[in-house]
Amino acid sequence: MDSNLNLELTRRELFRTGGMGLGASALMSLLGRDAFAAEPAFLNPLRARRSDYPARAKSVIYIHMIGAPSQLDLYVDKPRLREMTGELCPEDLFNSQQFAFIRSRPKMYGSPFTFRQYGESGQTFSELLPEISSLADDIAVIESMHGEQINHSPAQLFMQTGFGRFGRPCMGSWVSYGLGSENDNLPSFVVMVTGNVGGAGNSMWGSGFLPSIYQGVEFRAVGDPVLFLSNPKGIKAGDRRRIVNTINQLNREQLVDVGDPEIATRIGQYEMAFKMQTSVPDLMDTSGETEATHAMYGTSPGKAGFANNCLLARRLVERGVRFVQLFDQGWDHHSGIAKSIRNKAKTSDKPIAALLKDLKQRGLLDETLVICGSEFGRTPMVQGDLKNAGRDHHKDCFSIWMAGGGIRGGVRVGESDDLGFSITKDPVSVHDFHATVLHLLGMDHTALTYKYQGRQFRLTDIAGNPVQPLLA
Amino acid sequence: MVVNGHFMNRTGRLFLLLLGVLWITPGSAAQEQDVDFEKDVWPVFQSQCISCHGPDAHEGQLRLDARAIAFKGGTTGSGIVSKKPDASEIYLRLVSDQPGKRMPAESDPLSPEQIELVRRWIEQGANWPDGIGSDAVEVERHWSYVPPIRPMLPEVQHTQWPQNSLDYFILRKLEEHDLRSSAPAGKERLIRRLYLDLLGYPPTVEQVAALVKDDAPDAYDKLVDDLLASPQYGIRWARPWLDLARYADSNGYQADQYRNVWPYRDWVINALNRDMPFDQFTIEQIAGDLLDNPTREQQIATGFHRLTTLNVEGGTDPELSRLNQVFDRVNTTATVWLGTTMECSQCHNHKYDPFSQKEYYELLAYFNNTPLEVNGASSAFNFYGPTIDVERSFADQRKWAGLNEQRAEKQTALDAIQAKIDEGYGAWVKSIVESQVDATQWFVMDAANPLSAKGATLRILEDQSVLSTGENPDKDVYQIEFRTDQQRITGIKLEALTHPDLPGTGPGRYTAERPNFVLQEFTLHHGERQLELTDGIADYSQPNFDVNKAVDGDEGTAWAIASEFFKPHQAEFLLAQPLESEEPVTLKATFVMNYGGSRVLGRIRLSAMTGSRPTSKVPQRMVKLASKQERNEKEEKELHDFYLSRQPEYQKAKKTLAAVEKDLTALRAPTALVMQEMEQPRKTHMLIRGEYKNHGELVSPGIPSILHSLPADERGANRLNLAEWLVSRENPLVARVTVNRWWAEFFGRGIVATEEDFGSQGEWPTHPQLLDWLAVELMENDWSMKHIHRLIVTSATYRQDSSIREQLLEVDPTNKLLARMPRLRMSAEGIRDTLLQISGLLELQMGGEPVYPPQPAGIWRHVGRNAPKYKTSTETNRYRRGIYVIWRRSAPYPSFTVFDAPDRTSCVVNRSRTNTPLQALTLLNDPMYWEMTKALARHVEKSHPGDLRQQIVYAFTRTVSRHPSEREIDILAELYEETVERLIERPADLAELVGHEDKSASAESGAWYYLSNVLLNLDETITRN
Repeated sequence: MDSNLNLELTRRELFRTGGMGLGASALMSLLGRDAFAAEPAFLNPLRARRSDYPARAKSVIYIHMIGAPSQLDLYVDKPRLREMTGELCPEDLFNSQQFAFIRSRPKMYGSPFTFRQYGESGQTFSELLPEISSLADDIAVIESMHGEQINHSPAQLFMQTGFGRFGRPCMGSWVSYGLGSENDNLPSFVVMVTGNVGGAGNSMWGSGFLPSIYQGVEFRAVGDPVLFLSNPKGIKAGDRRRIVNTINQLNREQLVDVGDPEIATRIGQYEMAFKMQTSVPDLMDTSGETEATHAMYGTSPGKAGFANNCLLARRLVERGVRFVQLFDQGWDHHSGIAKSIRNKAKTSDKPIAALLKDLKQRGLLDETLVICGSEFGRTPMVQGDLKNAGRDHHKDCFSIWMAGGGIRGGVRVGESDDLGFSITKDPVSVHDFHATVLHLLGMDHTALTYKYQGRQFRLTDIAGNPVQPLLA
Repeated sequence: MVVNGHFMNRTGRLFLLLLGVLWITPGSAAQEQDVDFEKDVWPVFQSQCISCHGPDAHEGQLRLDARAIAFKGGTTGSGIVSKKPDASEIYLRLVSDQPGKRMPAESDPLSPEQIELVRRWIEQGANWPDGIGSDAVEVERHWSYVPPIRPMLPEVQHTQWPQNSLDYFILRKLEEHDLRSSAPAGKERLIRRLYLDLLGYPPTVEQVAALVKDDAPDAYDKLVDDLLASPQYGIRWARPWLDLARYADSNGYQADQYRNVWPYRDWVINALNRDMPFDQFTIEQIAGDLLDNPTREQQIATGFHRLTTLNVEGGTDPELSRLNQVFDRVNTTATVWLGTTMECSQCHNHKYDPFSQKEYYELLAYFNNTPLEVNGASSAFNFYGPTIDVERSFADQRKWAGLNEQRAEKQTALDAIQAKIDEGYGAWVKSIVESQVDATQWFVMDAANPLSAKGATLRILEDQSVLSTGENPDKDVYQIEFRTDQQRITGIKLEALTHPDLPGTGPGRYTAERPNFVLQEFTLHHGERQLELTDGIADYSQPNFDVNKAVDGDEGTAWAIASEFFKPHQAEFLLAQPLESEEPVTLKATFVMNYGGSRVLGRIRLSAMTGSRPTSKVPQRMVKLASKQERNEKEEKELHDFYLSRQPEYQKAKKTLAAVEKDLTALRAPTALVMQEMEQPRKTHMLIRGEYKNHGELVSPGIPSILHSLPADERGANRLNLAEWLVSRENPLVARVTVNRWWAEFFGRGIVATEEDFGSQGEWPTHPQLLDWLAVELMENDWSMKHIHRLIVTSATYRQDSSIREQLLEVDPTNKLLARMPRLRMSAEGIRDTLLQISGLLELQMGGEPVYPPQPAGIWRHVGRNAPKYKTSTETNRYRRGIYVIWRRSAPYPSFTVFDAPDRTSCVVNRSRTNTPLQALTLLNDPMYWEMTKALARHVEKSHPGDLRQQIVYAFTRTVSRHPSEREIDILAELYEETVERLIERPADLAELVGHEDKSASAESGAWYYLSNVLLNLDETITRN
């Protein structure tokens, strides 16, 4: 195969184009990766860039539990609430809030699960997370998250983009925009979805007003992992190689003729597309993983699902992918929460714990920030009746956790009242959360801006501070 | 003097004033307190004020870095009045305790010491020495707020180059930079360029050939006219407008359901094709509904602002959703017509541009009078709102009219039935209530003197039942006396019991297999008086032998029980008049059973009823409602509905009506969403920090004061005034913003590069005079878009070659000066249309419902409730132009998003133009594009059979509208020959490639798939040169 010969313009060719003249720097980009560094940003928007200050994390794996799990059944133990189960919600508490579904004064509902403290740090988890809790000392829980939106789609947008309506870039897009890519045959921002996509749809990984090159690329569980990755019937890899070579030969003729650097970029993109036809299936094929690894995640090669996505997330960051976004749907427990959340926890506890352990044993956890969050939390009041108890949406006090890259494990930030309803100490806003993530990636959230409609937009809008106690 | 900042309320201010008074009392001490402006006050202005009131931002038209302006003050009054701090707005703002008024607006108040310094400085005469700060005397009006005036054409040296006025402005700048313009593009390239820009797809080989041959001097102008007149022009140019209008076929958010909005899309295409003047185009979209006697089309045009996203997910707050829609309408209007970002003023005064928060809400007030667009209960909302029917076919119209008539008839019938039934409603309610106070009791009556007319043996058993045995005559009549000492009898129960001595145990005496009875008449006499029995209820009646037929006085009808044999049965009757007696009562019962075949009762028992009959099967909830002294409207309806639900006649009539209505729905006309004003306008409040429940000052409709004025209108302030104001000749922005967007579509960047922002933070125009010239030209030529487009495409600037000379890449890398024509990758839709045209598949049919080209499974994932299904189009709909492809906001057509199509959730002024490997994969492998690849291959193969080089020339020309170079032919020929060889060696691959069914396919055919795939993937193919 003569792919490399085909890709690279010879020096002679470079000089041949001299008179017609595109700038040497544009053509240099065809000669290899090193040349990218010298190239102006408008030619390669995904060029790897230096961060503002030393980064604690190089990659992010952000698990977003769509629907919003109950913090009161996973992370936050409230004995007083448990005692109050069945009592009517205090009137002033009920009147203090607009609820999404609860309309009349509800009863209180303590968690039916038992909680314990784990590790040296004494981090609290419920019995539903036997595996994650074994890593208590690596995990920092924010007990005092608060948002602004009580409905799923706007809250998902707010959590992903810092704005409760459409039109803004999500965190992964900002990170790609800020730091570029360190991989030349995989996208810098990869998304994987288990179950249905959340209510806000593809906008949850959209690039908003940023150029669309920064939007997340979904790796799908069914069909081609990346859309249109596989060749039409009868076109084999070798055929594809020859076709791409011919395309690039003709494009090079045109490049020489009109000198538009955009053509040089396109030549590079066809090369990368061809490489992706191998690199993506390689990535998705987990048959080379050891049995021990599969046992740890609960995966088997070729079987899709959340656990498989966790394993793929590790494989992606291992290959230098900057931002991996996992969505796991099915956490919206308006009724029958005791049974449903137990089932959901069963499918996610083990693979998430495996992901942390796996990253750790490979020395990747230090440079990979793992986030497990959701669009909001749930009420300590029952929705429906106690027999089939559910919980309503709650935006004013919920929990997310982070581990790895630059996170101080074992800490718990913020406190909530005896009922888990209101924050009593150190509130953390969504903007604070975003500022923290950017900070860990070595970026000043006030400096990562994009000018649009006459305004320097930020992921953190006009607020947000890195949450210092989280930082190692 | 320690005054805590937190207590800087009115008292604090008084305190300071008092201190002030003390200080200015005559005496040497006061002299020593002289404030030095440069040392004491200027640093305060510098550190606290100038970021918002300085050279960059001058909020409220105030600059505190310029003496003259600081004294004069901004929009709210005199800034500094010497010796009078209390008349100086600057001082008053420092000590104000009103949020929103107190300065600095976005940080803590100044320290009491700093405030005191400012106060004393003013009091002492406000001496601001010369030379400190700027000598500006007024806040400069930003260029875009000054109305455009047609500039003179600039002087140029190469006077023979310009083809029309535009070129003078371009050439002048080039000459200023010592740059040469590029040579005109070759004819072929120019023709292709023009087709792509005006129609959105390339010309055919034949069209190019004919045009190249045409040497007439006006050939180019004629082509321009032809293309501008093509109906496909409207489709090409509707696309950017639909991006602005955030046009999509679904709601967005969680329940991302289908909406019927395509009539609006067709309206836009139609309006552009008719070259509707841009002012009218604006008025009809913003306020078509408010025109006098608006046409259907003018109302459809108002769909523009009905295209906002809407969240109908369970648990949303409809008022918040509505407000979000109104915000979007205001922001989109400002972006599209004013090139202004108003969004910032939702929460606070605009930092850089002269728009206050109040002005934002005044503008919002124009849009605040349309009805809610969600309905439903707290957990399930639906999208609704005003719609209008779009034209139906003639046949459908007639059918529709007929059904409507039927509906009216059925409705009348239903009303009549209900009126009749409702007469009994009061009594029914009463009966339920009575049933509660006066519960039913049953008392078995003692039997005596049983007689059989035909000699059967009637025997009284211990339980007071009467058993018939012995003789079993064909027909019979029994008479039996029954006694009770109940004093008020309200009903009677007749039991037909079983007994081992009866055939098959009974209850009748017919046969052991079918022991039926047929009771023709059952009567009771008290003395001479026959008691009237009504409202019979039996545990079972055989069909057509209802129990009430035993008490109807007609021996031709009867109660019977086939085929519920071998078990006891019973019937309960009410007495029309309760039987009241203080003495024990004896009733004479007669049972007429002359049906024949010994179908007589085998064992009879009677009980007397006291109290009221229980209203059986009435749920507790209804009993409770009926018992209420007063019911509210909702409760009354609930009870009445329940009553109606038990009236079979009513239910039947209702069903018939529903059937007609269903037919009507099935035949419903397509609808379009429209704007409609509510009769009672809403009050508009400012929203503090933009929070929707945080009401501030009440405002009325108004326009920003920095812009041209709005003459008072006797019709009152409504959207129509606003629309007229937007396209007023005095509006400094609208024409500039509009021509600039068109310019950017042709040249890749606007004369103002920030097409969406003409404010102080936007980029300065590269050719300000050209922009103004074009803006005036638009307004003076009846706002004709085609006129401006014609000017652009006939200019020398536009006709330049697009090759990049090395000098240009260094001097002007982003081609601001237009020394060449830029090369632009086409839009997502443009790429689809272009490849369809090349492959010969393009279907030019216009209008109607969206189409569904093939896309991979699993792109539309169900979210929330039952989402629409992706029903892949067949036949020609598969090959319609991109503008007709279904646009679902949560998952737009993937082969469009990969080429930078937005999700259309909000107004998009310009799309990004990226270059990614995913684009390569799409063009290489998307089955839709592969379908085009194969179609192209088949065309080419037929073109010059046996002559490979001719075939290549044909294929190449068909694809990029120009003749290939020899080298290009060689490269393709090499791939062809290699491939043919390979496919001959590997027939299995060939079979797979061309499809196993095509046995006759040759390796040559297969090779053409390869070449077509190459051609459709060339940079040149998807680029407007």
